[in-house]
Amino acid sequence: MTTVRLRGGHVVDPARQVDAVQDVCFRDGRIVAAQAAVDEDIDASGCVVMAGGIDLHTHIGGGKVNLARMLLPELQRKEVARTASDLELASCGGCAPGTLATGYRYVEMGYTSAFEPAMLPANARHAHMEMGDVPVLDHGAYVLLGNDELFLEMLARGEDFERIRDYTAWTIHASKAMGVKVVNPAGISAFKFNQRRLDVDESHVHWQVTPRQVLQTLARALRELGVPHPLHIHGSNLGAAGNIESTLETIAALDGLPAHLTHVQFHAYGNEGPKKFSSAAVQLAQAVNDNPNISIDVGQIMFGQTVTASGDTMRQYAQSHLGSPRKWIGADIECEAGCGVVPFRYREQSYVNALQWAIGLELFLLVNDPWRVVLTTDHPNGGPFTSYPHLIRLLMDRSFREEQLAKLHPDVAAQAALRSIKRELSLSEIAIMTRAGPARLLGLADRGQLGVGAAADIVVYREQADREAMFATPELVFKDGAQVACAGRITAVPVGGTHFVEPEFDRGIEKRLRKHFADHGQVNFDHVAIGHDELCRCCRGGRLLPAACFEGRPT
Amino acid sequence: MTDAVRPWSCPFCPLLCDAFGVVRAADGSLALQGSDCARARAALAHFGPATGDDRPRVHGRACELHVAVDAAAALLRTSRQPLFGGLGTDVAGARALYRLACDTGAICDAAQGAALTEGLRALQDRGGFTTTLAEVRTRVDLLVCFGGLPTPRHPEFFRHAGLAPDDPRVVVVAPSDDLFAASAQLAALVEGQVVDGASAELQALAQRLRAARYAVLVYEPARLPVHGALVIETLQRVVATLNRSTRAAALPLGGGDGAATVNQVFSWLSGLPLRTRNGPHGLEHEPVCFDAGRLVADDAVDLLLWIASFGPAPAPPACRLPRIVLGHPGMAAVEADVFIPVATPGIGADGHLFRTDGVVMLPLHAVRPEPLPTVADVLQRISAALQTERAA
Repeated sequence: MTTVRLRGGHVVDPARQVDAVQDVCFRDGRIVAAQAAVDEDIDASGCVVMAGGIDLHTHIGGGKVNLARMLLPELQRKEVARTASDLELASCGGCAPGTLATGYRYVEMGYTSAFEPAMLPANARHAHMEMGDVPVLDHGAYVLLGNDELFLEMLARGEDFERIRDYTAWTIHASKAMGVKVVNPAGISAFKFNQRRLDVDESHVHWQVTPRQVLQTLARALRELGVPHPLHIHGSNLGAAGNIESTLETIAALDGLPAHLTHVQFHAYGNEGPKKFSSAAVQLAQAVNDNPNISIDVGQIMFGQTVTASGDTMRQYAQSHLGSPRKWIGADIECEAGCGVVPFRYREQSYVNALQWAIGLELFLLVNDPWRVVLTTDHPNGGPFTSYPHLIRLLMDRSFREEQLAKLHPDVAAQAALRSIKRELSLSEIAIMTRAGPARLLGLADRGQLGVGAAADIVVYREQADREAMFATPELVFKDGAQVACAGRITAVPVGGTHFVEPEFDRGIEKRLRKHFADHGQVNFDHVAIGHDELCRCCRGGRLLPAACFEGRPT
Repeated sequence: MTDAVRPWSCPFCPLLCDAFGVVRAADGSLALQGSDCARARAALAHFGPATGDDRPRVHGRACELHVAVDAAAALLRTSRQPLFGGLGTDVAGARALYRLACDTGAICDAAQGAALTEGLRALQDRGGFTTTLAEVRTRVDLLVCFGGLPTPRHPEFFRHAGLAPDDPRVVVVAPSDDLFAASAQLAALVEGQVVDGASAELQALAQRLRAARYAVLVYEPARLPVHGALVIETLQRVVATLNRSTRAAALPLGGGDGAATVNQVFSWLSGLPLRTRNGPHGLEHEPVCFDAGRLVADDAVDLLLWIASFGPAPAPPACRLPRIVLGHPGMAAVEADVFIPVATPGIGADGHLFRTDGVVMLPLHAVRPEPLPTVADVLQRISAALQTERAA
C-alpha cells in the first residue's frame, strides 16, 4: 500500500469550499488525510490540483456515433496519425473519434468520467460495449424514454401513473442506465406518423398526448423512484428560430420538479431582427436563475467541422439540408426511438453560427449559480470535446473572448449581448462546471471532490496565464490513485467502471411488457434485460458502480 | 433424453431469431424447435455428436493448443503483410482481433466483404434512411422486396414482419429485371417524372409508394449485381423523395457470418470501418483496394488468417499463401499451416451479434458444453505469444 502526497499545490475543490495551497494524499485509490510520512512525494508547487473532470453529456457510445464514423471516412482519414504512446492502439481522433482515442484524449485533458446521454433500450448492449472500449474513463448512460410506443400508449389510455413509473424503473434496470433522457418529447414517435413539428402543448397526431404530459410524467416518475440525476431533457424544436418559447414552456411544464435541460444553446433562439434569428440567452438565463429546480448544460458550438448525432429524427430531418458534407443518415428505431446523423461545419462568417457561438457563451456567463451549469459542447454536436480547453479560456479571459468575437460575422460582432458581459469565470467556477457540479447532479458522492474518502481521481495542472494551454495538457492525471497520464502522454490504460442506478419497482409490470414485446416483434423479452455478469462482460470486466437512490417521495 | 433450450438466439442468419428453441439430444446433436427454418436446420446439422479429433493441427498433425498458438504467432511475426479474412466471429472475437490487427498491420476484410462494402460505399456517398424489424411489423403498409423475396436466405423474415409473403401489402421486384434500370425508373416515377418504357407494374408501384403511409424497401446487398452500391443509392433516393411528403424507410438484409458485427466493433474502436489496416502512417481505410479477393489474386499479401466460427463454411479462398485457420471443427480437412478448431457463439459459447438492422445487439447463449476455446481466447493467446517473442 503506497501513500502518495501531492505537496504544496493550489487545491481548487469547491465541493469543500477549498481554494488554497495544501497537500493532497491518497492511498489505495482513495483520498486520505494529510500525513507526514508518505511513500512517494510529488512536488505540486506552482500547480493547480483538482478532482478529475466529469463530462455529463458526451456522445461516446452507441449506434449513432458509430454511424457517424462509417459515414465520414474522408474526415476520419485526416485524424489517423497520432499514437503518442506504446500503450495506445491505433484510433482516429477528430469529430467522431474511435472509442480508444476518446479515452486517450479525455484522459490527457484530465477527465476521468464521461456519460453517454442517449442510450436506446434496444441498443443498450452496444452502448455499454462501446463505453467499455473507452479506456480509463468511468462511464454511464441515460436511457431514452418518452418516444416509445408503450409509454405513449400508457399515457394515452390514462393508465395508472404507478404503472408508468414501474415501467420507467424497469427500463432503467434492464438497460443498466444512470438516468433517463427524453428527446423531443413524443416528437420522434410523431415523425413516424409523418408529423413534422410538435410544440409543447400540441398533440401527437396518433396518440393524442402532448410533450407537456410526457415531461411531467417522466420527471415525476424519476423523482418518486429516487433516481439521483433528474430527468435529462432535450427539448422540443431543437435548432428552430423562436424555440425559446418551447424551452420556457418546458420549464413551466415541470412545475417545480427537478430537471436537467441539455445543450440549451440549441434551444435559446428568438426570431427577432432582420434575419428572424436572434439570441434568447437573456430570457433563458433569467428562467434558469428563477427556477432552482433546473440545471443546464450548454452545448457550446465551436467553429470547424463536426458531425451532429441525435435521437431527434424529426429535427435532424428538418436540418439535414444544412449538412456539410451534404449527406446524412436517419433511422426509425424499434418502436422506441430514432436517430439522425448530420455532418456540420460551423463557420465564423455565418450569421447563424456566429450567433450560436455567442448564445452559448452568454448562457455560461448569465446564469448566476455555477452549480447548475455544466460545461459541454454536446460532443460531437457542437464540437469535439477536445475543444474544452479553448472554451475554458473563452470563459476565463474576457480580452481573448472579445478578440474571437471580433473575427465573427460583422452583425454578430457588432450587436451581440456578449460584448457587454464583463464576467470572467474563476478557477473555482470552472472546477464547479467541469467536476464538482456534474458529480452533484449525478449523485456521485465520492467523485468531483478531494475530501477524505473520495476516489483518487486527481488532476495536476501547471499554473499558466494561458488557460487553454493549462487545461489542454495537465502535468499529471490519476485515476483511482493510478497515474494514467503525464504531460499529454498516456502512462497506463486501466479499464474504467460503469455507473448505473437500481431503483425499486413492482415486478408485476413484466407481464405487461412481455406481451407488448411479443406483439411488436421486438426481441424476446427474456433477452431485454442486461444482468450484472453480462454488463461486466460488455464493459471488459470493469468495476460495476451502482449509485444509491435517495428516498423517493411516496405518492 | 432431450433438453430444450429456450429462448435461443440463432446465430446463423442476420435476423438473429430468438423466439425459438433448440432441443439437445443425449448424443449432443441439436434440433430446432418452433420453426422449420431451413437455414437454421442446415446449420445445426453441423453440430452433431462430437466425433474424431478436435485438437488443433500444425501442418496437418494434431498438437496441443499452445503449440498451434506458437506456430501461428511465428507465421504472423515473419509476415510483412498479413490478411485477416472470413471474420466469422462475435463481438468478443472482434475485440481481440483488433489488437492483433494493430500489432501486425493486417488488412481485415470479411467473407461477405463485397456485399458489406456495397452498402458502406452507398452510405459514405449519400447516407441513407433505414428502419428496424419492430417498426416494419408495427407500421408497414407497403413492403417492397427489391430484387426478389428475401426468404431463401432469410427464411423467417416474414414472420418478423408480421406479414405473409402473399399479403397484398407485399410487392416483389423480381431479381431477373435489370435492377439498375428498375431502380432508376422507380426513383424517377416517385419523383413524378414521366418515364418512357417503364413497365405498368413499376408505374403502379410508384403510385402505391406515393400513397403509402409507411413504405419499406427491403433489399439484400449480397444479391445485387456488381456495383450494387448504385442500386442502393437509387433506392435511398426513392426513400428520400417519399419522405418529403409521407414516410418511408429502407431495410437492408445482410451482414451475417459476423461481417456486420466485426465491422461495427472495428468502427467503434478505430473510427473506421473494415477494409482498413494500421499501416506505417497510421490507419488506412481503402474500401476498394483492401478487398480480400483482389489482394489474394494480386499477391499483395503474404499470409492469410481465416476465421469461420459459425460453421464449416465459408472456406478460405484457394491460394498458395501460408494459412492460419480458426474454424469450426468440420474445417479440419481444409489445407492450413495451422488449424485451430474453435467454439461457435450460440452453440458452444456465449457471445453477442448485431441483427441485420445494425441497432439491436443480441446475446447468444451456449446450448451445450464445449471443450473448444473461443475465437477471442485463441486470438488473445496469439497476441500474447507475439508480445513475448518481441520482448525476447
